[in-house]
Amino acid sequence: MTSDQHDLDTAPDAALEGLEDIPHTGESVEADGTLVEPQADDFAHAEQAPSDPEWFKRAVFYEVLVRAFADSDGDGTGDLRGLAGKLDYLEWLGVDCLWLPPFYASPLRDGGYDISDFRAVLPEFGTVDDFVHLLEEAHSRGIRVITDLVLNHTSDAHPWFQASRQDPDGPYGDFYVWSDDDSAYSDARVIFVDTESSNWTYDPVRGQFFWHRFFSHQPDLNFENPAVREAMLDILRFWLDLGIDGFRLDAVPYLFEEEGTNCENLPRTHEYLREVRATIDREFPGRVLLAEANQWPADVVEYFGNPDVGGDECHMAFHFPLMPRIFMAVRRESRFPISEILAQTPPIPDGTQWGIFLRNHDELTLEMVTDDERDYMYREYAKDPRMKANIGIRRRLAPLLENDRNQLELFTAMLLSLPGSPVLYYGDEIGMGDNIWLGDRDAVRTPMQWSPDRNAGFSRSDPGRVYLPPIMDPTYGYEAINVESQQGSSASLLNWTRRMISVRKEHPAFAEGEFVDLGGSNPSVLAYERRLVREDGELDVVLCVNNLSRFPQPVELNLADHEGRTPVELTGRVRFPRVGELPYLLTLPGHGFYWFQLTDTEDDGERRSMS
Amino acid sequence: MSENPTTGSHRADTSGPQDDLVTQIAEALPAWLPTQRWFGGKDREITGVRALAATELPAGDDALLLHLVVEVEQGDRREPYQLLIGHRDDQVPDVPAAASIPLANGPAVYEASGDADLTCHLLDLIASSTAVDGVEFAPEPGAELESGLRGHPISTEQSNTSIVYGGQYILKLFRKLTPGTNKDLVLHRALREVTSDHIADPLGSISGELAGEPVTFGMLQRFMPDAADGWVMATTSVRDFMADPSGLPPGELGGDFSGEAYRLGKAVADVHADLAQALGTRDADADELADTVDAMLERLERVVGEVPELAEHADPLVAAFRAVASVPPPVTVQSVHGDLHLGQVLRTLQGWLLLDFEGEPAASVVERASLRSPLRDVAGMLRSFDYAAQQLLVGQPDEEGQAERAAAWAEHNRSAFCDGYAKESGHDPRDQDVLLRAFELDKAVYEVAYEHANRPDWLLVPLASIRRLTTEGS
Repeated sequence: MTSDQHDLDTAPDAALEGLEDIPHTGESVEADGTLVEPQADDFAHAEQAPSDPEWFKRAVFYEVLVRAFADSDGDGTGDLRGLAGKLDYLEWLGVDCLWLPPFYASPLRDGGYDISDFRAVLPEFGTVDDFVHLLEEAHSRGIRVITDLVLNHTSDAHPWFQASRQDPDGPYGDFYVWSDDDSAYSDARVIFVDTESSNWTYDPVRGQFFWHRFFSHQPDLNFENPAVREAMLDILRFWLDLGIDGFRLDAVPYLFEEEGTNCENLPRTHEYLREVRATIDREFPGRVLLAEANQWPADVVEYFGNPDVGGDECHMAFHFPLMPRIFMAVRRESRFPISEILAQTPPIPDGTQWGIFLRNHDELTLEMVTDDERDYMYREYAKDPRMKANIGIRRRLAPLLENDRNQLELFTAMLLSLPGSPVLYYGDEIGMGDNIWLGDRDAVRTPMQWSPDRNAGFSRSDPGRVYLPPIMDPTYGYEAINVESQQGSSASLLNWTRRMISVRKEHPAFAEGEFVDLGGSNPSVLAYERRLVREDGELDVVLCVNNLSRFPQPVELNLADHEGRTPVELTGRVRFPRVGELPYLLTLPGHGFYWFQLTDTEDDGERRSMS
Repeated sequence: MSENPTTGSHRADTSGPQDDLVTQIAEALPAWLPTQRWFGGKDREITGVRALAATELPAGDDALLLHLVVEVEQGDRREPYQLLIGHRDDQVPDVPAAASIPLANGPAVYEASGDADLTCHLLDLIASSTAVDGVEFAPEPGAELESGLRGHPISTEQSNTSIVYGGQYILKLFRKLTPGTNKDLVLHRALREVTSDHIADPLGSISGELAGEPVTFGMLQRFMPDAADGWVMATTSVRDFMADPSGLPPGELGGDFSGEAYRLGKAVADVHADLAQALGTRDADADELADTVDAMLERLERVVGEVPELAEHADPLVAAFRAVASVPPPVTVQSVHGDLHLGQVLRTLQGWLLLDFEGEPAASVVERASLRSPLRDVAGMLRSFDYAAQQLLVGQPDEEGQAERAAAWAEHNRSAFCDGYAKESGHDPRDQDVLLRAFELDKAVYEVAYEHANRPDWLLVPLASIRRLTTEGS
């Protein structure tokens, strides 16, 4: 497999499409071969959101695809200005931070993770100025914005790669990992085994092989080269100067290579992340780094860095194995899949937080786990044909749960109360469906359903121009499921979700409290406390009890530590019987759950819940 | 924590009144004992109760905590039992009315295992390694215990009383006492010695002497607050399976238990290997096999006499038991659990644990202590899978296909359990089919007698299993 062919004298920016009149990398070339790149000062800068260095520990994140959310110019594709126009809705819902998958210039051969210019926006989404407008509007509502940044590689259309392959002795000659043969680093596995046979691909232009851990159209950057390390820091600075609140760093374990290793999680990779973090702390305090490391929690914690200083690498990392375990637990009607994975999750540094999710485009892959775990995962759920279908291909939450409102609420309640900052996936708050006929990637990327109007209110374009047809089936179609009708119905999933987010925000224990699994003799009931000593020295204890079974269940909880306290249910503020010395008996309907605050006295409970 | 470790000796000063109290309690017990769940002699009238030993334990200034061993006489049967007696000078304890022992002419006393203010002293005595008048409280070597925790009895126990302290420890008080160090404690110590992964570590004991022989009064173990027992885990899966309308086999439904059953099989095999390592094995000789056959045939004969429904299966049962005599040697015997079923195993976050190594409650002391084939434990667990599968059918009208579905669940999980056992031990228990079948049938015959006497609705469970086991493969 070879990369696109180019003549030796092609301009480095020749592979960039649609950026002819827009500032972009390589728009001109200096005498020494250096590419001219857009600078942050060429653009307006957004005002910052209110200062709060640990905002990410408490934030509710919302993953939104620019393409799928709202179309402002009627071309059938969502764009940054369209998204900016929907911020009132997101503020109303209670979202604190948007996570945007890549919106950079890209040939889109890997969903935009193949970036061809880090300093330009994909033209169909808008411009850098439009992004600054989005930031400005978001910040004025107290909403932050982070986006993906791929450090490890670029698209082969990136002007750096074009310059590198054409001019081995020029300033970009050493930006990628070139070799005369394909023998080096043979212990590194091939990740995309279905499409790639080797991590090396021959480039006929340069007459050498280049290294790539992912697709062969995504050459890995050479982090041994100090100029690459500095160039990537400059890209971070570019967006941070414009006002962005942080980055989800994609594919972080693979930055460096070293002979005789599997080329993952190498010490020098961590060293570079510390350098990135130090740069942020020094120049842009309050902005965050979120690691995408699809690995076991015990390995992922390495990406938080040194716990003695509260963490000195990434502020956040996704907890990947929790998601399939939540599904497994409810299918098994057993708390053990969840309890086990949380028991195996090491403590994380003070200044860090997990990101947890029910649905996004990242999945747990079995090759990441140990032999024992793989055996366990296989026995427990890979062999269950329905589970395999559910988790293995990308589906939305509502169809996964057969549109069962009770389960949708139970799953959401766990997402909002288990340790970590929750990440919602756009559309799941209204129970949107998917379109499996569109195939793996696009099934869950259909237009956001705003109203029963044409194109689901997503775009005013001719329906034939919309990038993907909106869902139209009788159950999940936009005439049945849309924001407008759910906002008007007090019993809707949307209003319920909004209410739960607001309850979560009233109690910092949900976000930062210590997680204590209460165990108990009924395996179908998952009960845990979140305990936080607040700044005023008072203990804020939230008790969460989840019935993972479809059948009603009793549970006796050992609440001896809270003898004399009164549980106050958090959504209706109803007082439950006081906790005594004996086990506390609760009964739950099928897939029911409770959130309680444990208050010291009844009067105190009232005062606190009123505040 | 122990305020007055010499309380025992101070008993001499008050021996008069205390002896009188003990006498009065002994007089009240014939009426009171049969009301207690743990009392094992409900089948016969109590003809007399005699105090064998009474020891006052330190319990603060205004309370009395008396450790009492009594001999219960029921005709020609004499059995020792252990009691804790409490009394408060000026406060009503928070214990159920059933604990109260009405005395003809004495203070208000009660069985004190439910009184957290008194039972907290038991843990403190163990933690401080204190002996009171021949009752020895001792931590296991190396065990560091936190004292000052309050304890609450768990409600599910049958023949003993267990008190959970602060979600950390569990103290099992043996009610009916047997001379000699209790088998439960012996096997736990042996397994701890070889660092078994599948037990709740023993942390302490209460022991003394009874009729000149050492006796175990209690055992303290680590408590697993995160655990659920195997019966609840398995029946959760059965519930899911039986309610599923799709008709899919058990391995293809979300509630599948076979992964757990497989790991449970591995855990049981591992415990057997640990017991063999710690306490040895030997080969049973032909006489022992013959004795085993005789015992099984005797039980069968007795139960057929009591339960007419069993008669139609008598011939194949006899044949299955007799076949054991011709099992080619060697038949290995060793220390085993002795009463293994799903209620005796705990799923913790770290995996499966086995509990209660006392052996079958109805078996004699000699039977419990003797070496037995590990296949007995396997058979017990296989029977338990049958019970778990069928428990939802009990008392329900016959519904098309439900019995078959229950059988499919049982077979799926029995098979997974054996797979796990075979994987860990290197020996598939199903290869010893004659022995395994005989042990399973013997257990089922025992169940027939038990259900007939106690829960006639459940009789269908062992009978269905006997029908299946005696007809399959024929």
